Amino acid sequence: MPALPVDRARLIAYLTALVTFSFLTSPLWLGAGLAAVLALAGRQGPRLLRRALLATLAFSGAASATYAALSWWTQHRLPLDWLLAANLRVLLMALLTFLFIARVNLFRALDFSRRLTFLLTLAVSQSLGLRRTLDDFRLGLHSRAIRPAGLKARYRAAARAAAWLLDRALANAHESAQALQSRGFFK
Amino acid sequence: MHIPDGFIAPQMYLPLYGVAAGLWAYGAKRVGRELDESGLPWLAALTAGAFALSFIALPLPGGASAHVTGVGLLAARFGLWQAFMAASLVFALQALLFGDGGVTTLPLNALAMGFAGAAAARGAFLLLRGRFPAAAWFLAGWIGLFLPSVLIALALGAQPLIAHDAAGRPLYFPLGWSVTLPALLIPHALLGLGEGALTLLGGRLMERLHARYGGVA
Amino acid sequence: MIAVENLSHHYGGQPTLLDLGFRLAPGEKAVILGANGCGKSTLLKILDGLIAPGAGRYLYDGEAITPLRLKAGGLRRRFRQEVGLLFQNPDVMLFNPTVADEIAFGPRQLGLADVDDRVAHWAGKTGVTHLLPRAPFSLSGGEKQKTALAALLAVEPKLLLLDEPTAALDPRSTGWLVDFLAGLKQTVLCSTHNLSLAPELAPRALVLGEDHRLLYDGPIERFLMDETALVQANLAHIHSHRHTYFRAPAHHHHPLKKGVVEHRHFHTHDW
Repeated sequence: MPALPVDRARLIAYLTALVTFSFLTSPLWLGAGLAAVLALAGRQGPRLLRRALLATLAFSGAASATYAALSWWTQHRLPLDWLLAANLRVLLMALLTFLFIARVNLFRALDFSRRLTFLLTLAVSQSLGLRRTLDDFRLGLHSRAIRPAGLKARYRAAARAAAWLLDRALANAHESAQALQSRGFFK
Repeated sequence: MHIPDGFIAPQMYLPLYGVAAGLWAYGAKRVGRELDESGLPWLAALTAGAFALSFIALPLPGGASAHVTGVGLLAARFGLWQAFMAASLVFALQALLFGDGGVTTLPLNALAMGFAGAAAARGAFLLLRGRFPAAAWFLAGWIGLFLPSVLIALALGAQPLIAHDAAGRPLYFPLGWSVTLPALLIPHALLGLGEGALTLLGGRLMERLHARYGGVA
Repeated sequence: MIAVENLSHHYGGQPTLLDLGFRLAPGEKAVILGANGCGKSTLLKILDGLIAPGAGRYLYDGEAITPLRLKAGGLRRRFRQEVGLLFQNPDVMLFNPTVADEIAFGPRQLGLADVDDRVAHWAGKTGVTHLLPRAPFSLSGGEKQKTALAALLAVEPKLLLLDEPTAALDPRSTGWLVDFLAGLKQTVLCSTHNLSLAPELAPRALVLGEDHRLLYDGPIERFLMDETALVQANLAHIHSHRHTYFRAPAHHHHPLKKGVVEHRHFHTHDW
């Protein structure tokens, strides 16, 4: 049996670890997990931890604050166990995902299926192109708005961008189908 | 609405993955049949379009803005299965390439927004298109945003019931329906008006482009 | 009119512009020359106050311009009226239901009384009068470009920034644009990588190198005669050619095999 390519092995390890962590409810185990993933991340650890914190802060913060306030109001106590365990788990799982993103080439991890790799590569490369143009749509309105643009103009501009986007996606689909055909992708 | 990993209990997300996997397998077959050999680039382009769509700002009064989901527009224009497959791929790419949203919350998002939201939007659109074309686009946008928020509020609020310790204290998302339903439904019913307006304007533009150039799908 | 001092910009850790400095006097016309990816579009967006310079300053009429300073107030109103940017892809600027509404968008924002006259005037000047009732998205690339240009000019800006305005135009429209720009009294800064067109657009060239620095600033004719500089800016290239001769050319002292000579010469390619 051929050796498992490293990116695919890492994908499997990541998914296994993620599911395992999702079962943990004890702050002790969650803390140990966080330490382990941080050790694995090495020098990238602090930066990835910061990204994980920023990515989850809005939702975790809102849920934690609401739950803490509700508990205080109804039972006159703070749910410290839950606050610790839940926030550790959310942080741990997000950190693991950011470590995965930093270390693994997703396209290579999924290259067991040629079709899946093609699908993802095409989708991602076109996404980035569309996103760049979309940014220009935003700036285009901005540069023409002598006064802050009104609601109507903003809706028109957003709708125009959306319609352009899907129209462009349609054109891209035809072009890449032809390109794949000319390179002999379809039999 | 990005729910991070760690709030949805495995008791819920694992069965949801099972349901979603079945629909993905069927959807792949469906899309393949509808589009024969150009299915792959078509799905890729639609995914890219859906991905970029989520970066369009939904204008709110006073200069503020929220984000568009685009589910209603996609479903009304391209049908349930194409919208579902493209939206699912977008969630997967956002989670695994950019760390937006979660991997364990993916099936919930895919089923609530990509499937239920798209199905309701497409249904509303087909039902009204003949007699009230403007209302058809608007409602597709509104319901494509609102229905998923109902389902996600239900799923979140169910966490304290399905995953608690011996004393009945929650282990995952801690708040029940009495909090999640009003917290999600009221703002989304209003945001839906904006999404509906945008879907109407965008849909009309696409219809006119389509009438001009003809073309596929 | 504008002054750029030690301006730098980075995107995703990579430099897009490094330590630029130049001035533009009122009424002056200049072209920004540079290969693809050297930062032309970024520079124009900074000059239009859409993105912030990472370091250094950009002054318009003595006022430092950044997106933050243009958030609101009198400066925003004045700057957005006096400075117009024609995007490389005109699609991104057009969002009104008809060409007439598109041209009227700026004047209406200013609350001007003679909106209809302005629309008629600038539509005539740019040759889009017959398109006025049409939807902008249904036009051809060149027609969109003209509509966008008319929409910018309708508020009578003092500084016109143009990003590769000829990239999507056919030869006839390109000729029209060159004549049209020459007749404008505005200060114009226009980017292009089209070397043969550049001297027709403006007498002065600002050349961005592939190292994202200002490689040259001066009369365009002198730059175009400097082959080394052209190659350095990646605006021209040297490559080998094979020519087949029926007989060895007289200046070769050795007989050539198979009548083929390989030599290198200097090329500018226009796309």
